[in-house]
Amino acid sequence: MRWTLAVASLARHRTRSALAVAGVAIAAALLLDMTMLSSGMRESFRALLLRRGFQIRLAPRGTLPFDTEATIPGAADIMGRLRTITGVSVVSPVLGAAIHIPLADRTITSFAVGNDARVQGDYELVTGRDADSAGDMVANAEFLRATQRGLGDTLRVATGYDPQLRAFSGERRLVIRGEARFFYLSAGQSAVAIPLATLQAMTGAAPQDRVSLFMVKVGNDSLVEPVRRSIQRSESLVDAISTADALSRVDARLRYFRQLGAILATVSLAIGFALVTTLVSVSVNERIGEIAVMRAIGVSRQHVIQQIVVEGAVIGLSGAVLGLALGQVTARWLNSILAHFPGLPAAIDFFLFQGRAVWTALALFLVISIVAGLYPAWRAGSLPIARALREEAVG
Amino acid sequence: MGVNGLRLDYALSRGHPPPMLSIVILLLLQAPLRTIAIDERLAADAGLAIGDRVVVAATPGSPGDTVVVGAIVHRRPDPSEIARADYRVYLHLDQLQGLIGYGDRVDRFAVATPDTAGTTRAIEQIDEAAFGFRPWRSRDIAVETSQTFRVVSRFHKAIAVITIAAGAIFLLCILLLKVDERRRDVAALRLLGISRRSVVRAVIVEAAMVSVLGSIVGVTLGWAITALVNAYYQAVYRTPLLFAVVTGEIVAFAVTLSLVLGIGAGALAAMRLVRASPLALLGR
Repeated sequence: MRWTLAVASLARHRTRSALAVAGVAIAAALLLDMTMLSSGMRESFRALLLRRGFQIRLAPRGTLPFDTEATIPGAADIMGRLRTITGVSVVSPVLGAAIHIPLADRTITSFAVGNDARVQGDYELVTGRDADSAGDMVANAEFLRATQRGLGDTLRVATGYDPQLRAFSGERRLVIRGEARFFYLSAGQSAVAIPLATLQAMTGAAPQDRVSLFMVKVGNDSLVEPVRRSIQRSESLVDAISTADALSRVDARLRYFRQLGAILATVSLAIGFALVTTLVSVSVNERIGEIAVMRAIGVSRQHVIQQIVVEGAVIGLSGAVLGLALGQVTARWLNSILAHFPGLPAAIDFFLFQGRAVWTALALFLVISIVAGLYPAWRAGSLPIARALREEAVG
Repeated sequence: MGVNGLRLDYALSRGHPPPMLSIVILLLLQAPLRTIAIDERLAADAGLAIGDRVVVAATPGSPGDTVVVGAIVHRRPDPSEIARADYRVYLHLDQLQGLIGYGDRVDRFAVATPDTAGTTRAIEQIDEAAFGFRPWRSRDIAVETSQTFRVVSRFHKAIAVITIAAGAIFLLCILLLKVDERRRDVAALRLLGISRRSVVRAVIVEAAMVSVLGSIVGVTLGWAITALVNAYYQAVYRTPLLFAVVTGEIVAFAVTLSLVLGIGAGALAAMRLVRASPLALLGR
């Protein structure tokens, strides 16, 4: 009954009710997007880091993985020491470098990862086989497209260019053995994976056995932090970064987006509150006579209050349902914009739908709508019946 | 271009610089040989002042050169440095080359030219010489390196579209309600013989005034929030960069939008009111 009366009351002024619901829907969509943004980046990045089960990264001291061109010398010695630490099950060394592919009419520049194919955690093979021997490489689709080559083709690959001699340096002939999908690349970035020793020899990193980072897998999750601390104590040239550390550092760098999300979520709640409370207040003002008559014929104060509150809830609920759908669309749009963020892996979703967070946000929105209707409802319930009826009749 | 001579910048990560490309700063009591310039962030964090002696070295723990802090420089408002806790140290070129074993090599040359035509000529001549150099216009480099901010800017614009849509509907709703509240006044005016056109005009003028007043309050509020945002983020990221700016263009857009919506909503509501009979408006 109360719901029927509330809906009938809103239907009396269709234009304004529709506008209010539309406004509330946009506010709810914004709230939904900002909720998804606040937690999405973090969860998406965490899932990406743990994709191949490596819980610890070792980067040159003072840096994040691939944040600078700094490298770690003595990779084999470090790996030997790491393997003796209790709990460490896999150690994967990685060297990153830029490579040049001289073609007949142009030169392609790409990113290269040097690693051990048996323990690598940078890519998954799509077709073909892995780069197992010194003259092999695997490439991603972007690289194959840019070079217009396929599996089995041989390419000249260089790591430098000497301007005085006008010649490429660190050159090798490598055969494309497989196509791979790399996890940590930004959208459209071309990349290849080459055996670590080959890339070290090409870049001149071999004499000092340099790598860009190590990825470490720990057999038992409860041992991650003790292993990290142990590595940090024993290795002076590296920072041992656990997934939690990496997330907190990324959090610090992307703090702006979280704060923006929090501010806009608050603004959207405020807009929703203002819209509902304004509309319900005006609706009550217009129906003072009607409410007084209801009270005069015996309708209880509680019933009147509940009916007005339900009006606010109906607007909030309708707006939230519409906002849920609208929010999904706008989240995709906003995500497509942020996907072009340079340097961030394309696999990161800025707007991740996480049921609990989203339902909590929308429930909060509904509560705000109900609270927004409380004051006008209290005013309606506290009307002096006789005076309201007299004023309605006289004026 | 606008820069004469050469300059090499090396970024230091806070606490532990990366090997090969970094310099360790240690307080020493020995006499300085040459001077360096450091940025204000490093000076504040390391408690360094002009005249202090420090050792700069290529790797942690390796012997380096003793130098004296000769200048403390402001950080440039460079958007690409936001969220990075880097320090900047400026050394004499030959000293840095010696320190990191770079030989007589540099990463880049910056060339000043008198005008745009001069820049074009210089680029053509360098290209002709073509000893492995690739000249870039500063403008092109800026475009290349500002990709992050173009993405952030597009994101902000998208958010602005959503919030403007919500704000516009809110404004429209409020103005419709406000005009609707005047139904008894309008009915009285119509019964007194005031023409429909005059009533519509009066309502539109009122809506315009509300919009103008709202715009003034909004612009003032926007300006105050901008100042707060800048103060907060400049402190958080320790940069003189301006994060939010109220430009004439933005004010003009906001005021125009407010007026168009206000007057539009006022006209719409007024037309609906004058179409109804005065007695119906009075509820009779």
